[in-house]
Amino acid sequence: MPLDPRAPVAAVQTPRMATHGLVPEATTAMVGQALGDPVSALVARRESQRYARAVGDLDPIYFDEEAARAAGYDGLVAPPTFVGHAVVEGATLDDLREDGLWVDRGRGRAVRLNVSRTMFGGEEWEFHRPVLVGDTVTAQRRLGAVEEKDGRSGPFVLLHYETTFTNQHGDVLAVSRLVGIAR
Amino acid sequence: MTARQRLLADVTPGDELDPAVRNASRVQLFLYSAATHNPHRIHYDRDYALVEGHPDVIVHGPLQGAWLSGYVTSWAGPRGRMLTLTWQNRRSALPEQDYTFRGRVRGIDGDVVDLEVWAEAGDGTVVMPGTATVRLPVT
Repeated sequence: MPLDPRAPVAAVQTPRMATHGLVPEATTAMVGQALGDPVSALVARRESQRYARAVGDLDPIYFDEEAARAAGYDGLVAPPTFVGHAVVEGATLDDLREDGLWVDRGRGRAVRLNVSRTMFGGEEWEFHRPVLVGDTVTAQRRLGAVEEKDGRSGPFVLLHYETTFTNQHGDVLAVSRLVGIAR
Repeated sequence: MTARQRLLADVTPGDELDPAVRNASRVQLFLYSAATHNPHRIHYDRDYALVEGHPDVIVHGPLQGAWLSGYVTSWAGPRGRMLTLTWQNRRSALPEQDYTFRGRVRGIDGDVVDLEVWAEAGDGTVVMPGTATVRLPVT
């Protein structure tokens, strides 16, 4: 079941024909490509622990180094899904849209759609190695597929993003495949 | 602190995981937004959430995913290792509502246990179906 971390990421799907014009051609052309440069961040103890407390997961391996070592880890561990948040850069207040999200400047790699309301649709994670406090994580995001669909409340777009997280040694820590819904 | 460790021999296909209830207060939604540096207004600004057609502020999909992650890793015990986790946020989840997490062992391949996991709303509707694979220690 766990996939080979060296295997090529993103089984790129053929984009479906847009039927309502929600997906500009320029966006369809980006499928399979990297979105921006890789982003790196240190996995900080306090940030990891704030996340663990905020989600209500008080597993001692996130708070007590001795407990983490007793469980077979080389040090304090971050909650598995925290790695995706550790690398969030944020933006300036001037870059906030009406819905609070950031304008996707994307350095020329912004995913543009003719709809703006977005929701999280789900995620698939592969965890290859534990993320340890003190690791420097690098994330590279790619656009997997963009599909236009018909729903009960009108057409919507499914955006598939794939992010590979590596550590300071170049080891793959995790791969996330995330589905965003835009309508 | 020593948590009880689940071993491979403790598990049989068809086993059901003990259910666990999660209920997010509005303050938890705020803390999650803060801890993840997420400024999306649908999670803290009720007036704005209504504009987007939601009945109230909604629980972050990834927070429900983090609940699912904790549900699986606490079942696996400290020496267990979660290898994969998937979920779909099929319906919006609301604050101050109980969501019951459940799971079932689908199969075992070597030392890797394949789980079906999901969260249900109070009326039994599955709001978030998912899967997980977990490597369990033999001894």
